[in-house]
Amino acid sequence: MSNTSHEIESPNEKQNRHKAMEAVKLLNTLREDFKSPILSMEYFYDLFERVYCKHESLHEGKTKIGTMCIQIPSEIIYALDGVPIRLCNGFYTDDEIGSDFMPQKACPLVKATVGQFASGNFTDKPDIVFSPTTCDQKTKAGATIESFGYKIYDVDFPRTKESEASREYWRRSVKQFAVELSKFQGKKLTKTNLEQAIKKIGYAQSLYHKISEFRKHEFVPILGLDVFLITNAFFFDKINNWIEATEKLVNELEQRVRNKISVSGKVSPRIVYTGSPPIFPNYKIPQIIEESDAIIVADETCSSNRMFNDMVAVDEWNIYDMMDSISDKYLKGCTCPIFTKNDDRIRRIIQLVKTYKADGVVYQAFAGCTVYEMEQRSVLEAMEKAGIPILYLESDYSPSQGGQLSTRVEAFIESLKTRRRNKK
Amino acid sequence: MKYFAGIDIGSTAIKISIVDGKKNLLGSRISASGSMFYKYAQETLDALIGELNLNKNDILYIVATGYGRKLYKEANENISEITANAIGARAAASEFGEIKTIINIGGQDSKAISLDSDGNVVNFAMNDRCAAGTGKFLDVVALKLEIDVETLGESHFKSTGTPLSVSSTCAVFAESEIIGLLGNNHSIEDIICGVHYSIAKRIVKLVKRVGVKEGIYFDGGPALNMGLVHAIENEIGQRIFVPSNPQITTSFGAAIMAVDSYNYENS
Repeated sequence: MSNTSHEIESPNEKQNRHKAMEAVKLLNTLREDFKSPILSMEYFYDLFERVYCKHESLHEGKTKIGTMCIQIPSEIIYALDGVPIRLCNGFYTDDEIGSDFMPQKACPLVKATVGQFASGNFTDKPDIVFSPTTCDQKTKAGATIESFGYKIYDVDFPRTKESEASREYWRRSVKQFAVELSKFQGKKLTKTNLEQAIKKIGYAQSLYHKISEFRKHEFVPILGLDVFLITNAFFFDKINNWIEATEKLVNELEQRVRNKISVSGKVSPRIVYTGSPPIFPNYKIPQIIEESDAIIVADETCSSNRMFNDMVAVDEWNIYDMMDSISDKYLKGCTCPIFTKNDDRIRRIIQLVKTYKADGVVYQAFAGCTVYEMEQRSVLEAMEKAGIPILYLESDYSPSQGGQLSTRVEAFIESLKTRRRNKK
Repeated sequence: MKYFAGIDIGSTAIKISIVDGKKNLLGSRISASGSMFYKYAQETLDALIGELNLNKNDILYIVATGYGRKLYKEANENISEITANAIGARAAASEFGEIKTIINIGGQDSKAISLDSDGNVVNFAMNDRCAAGTGKFLDVVALKLEIDVETLGESHFKSTGTPLSVSSTCAVFAESEIIGLLGNNHSIEDIICGVHYSIAKRIVKLVKRVGVKEGIYFDGGPALNMGLVHAIENEIGQRIFVPSNPQITTSFGAAIMAVDSYNYENS
């Protein structure tokens, strides 16, 4: 029944429009709302616009290897001539679609990932998906996603990291992963291709480390929001393009530091961000922080710092040693709250606060991300002991929560400003 | 001759319909509510009677509805706009098929009404006391963009970029968001398109509360805005029916009710 004449969008068109609307909103904010913009950020703004507003595919003709969590080694994927696509998802639209398949109180990130699989709507559709058994929800989501007709390979991940046994266990899993992928790709892992891949990713990491160095300065040359965007781009961008753009950015930042061009003011509190990962376009809390005249100088999240922080440390460049070193990077360096004990994470946060001369910590957990929610207790206690102000927030992907959250963030930032002034 | 009137006194406009004993619509008239509901309603009714060459005494029964219905003391009866809307929509769309759901966007509220197969109201949802997603909201937007509210629909289809969503659901805050977008030189068309989608999303949430079914009827002043119609169709994923004169559905329903009440009282 109808008397109207316009074409109606298909479900995928509608989903694309919703995603474009979410994406453009954030990109406009990044482009327009902050002082002294960085010219070389335009590459990244444009990249996200092409992928999420114009729905361009970046990897046509290449084999896309979907990864469900940070622990799947990109080094092995690149060595075997695949493109890693990290499927952790930050779109509210996909979260809503995924809600039909997940418990109501589930984590929005997992719901969004499931939602995207349910829709089957990808700009770069993964040809094969590897899912490390990290948190409960991601582990179980694999089966749900399989029910939509995808093949998911589980990669066993241990939940303790202190013991030698868990290290052995994980090394076996990584080898198994390499065997599966090698079979799928019809390509052998060699000393040469693995070494090249390790060095390439190592170089990308070194660029991130340079950016981090700049953020230690009194005059912070780059927004935390922009850094999140750069690191999120590593989820899916062509690695050579990413490296080239980031090299340019590093040069520009170097000049900015020299010329004391800063995105923050003199009293702007310096923040270390930790907790559930900000994934494009869900930058809700970082955005509130930086719109309230504070500056994120470092983070401890799996969508940003944790991807780049630890390097693969190889003793001998033979294939077995390289494989073990890769495995260790993804287990030993990981500070995810899924582990039984997690003193590493507390140590890292305190270390970040000291190195980056931060005034306080903002800890955000997705409502439904039980492990981050649970760990706030021990982290808050440890920060209190160390005399570091910390704000704990729960949030989700819904766009309508802004008001209450911003009041709390603003009050926290004001208190940090007062402390800063009193110190001087 | 026997004639019957339905008077719908809304926050923004007064709508009056007159039907004959067989419930055929003879004519209707719309005027602004202004400050004196009663006086303007009276004037509008007189004007419509004159226009149709009727005699005032031929109007045997009047049913009032809408926010201001209790202010119209001459009415023989008054009923809620939800009941009147349901009756009017079923009658107005009879040639198209069965109406299961009504979306009504008025000047100061919006509603979703769910009907059973006999046309009885089984459920309804309203956003009350808030201008978000109402005609008032569109007025505010048009005022800020310095264009006529009637041209919003045309502009919608001229949008070529990504619609720029307005996340504030409050008309007051949305206004400042729009000022921000204009300040950064974004296309007015993309802003309008985004506003329509923002309203459409709210409306679809409202419809979901009563259940989305096939056979959706959309009325109220904002239904004249084809851009908004398009946005709602996209958000809800199906075509909706918009009557040729979407503002008078509720008064038409009240007039039909007048016939039934008169017949019942005189049987």
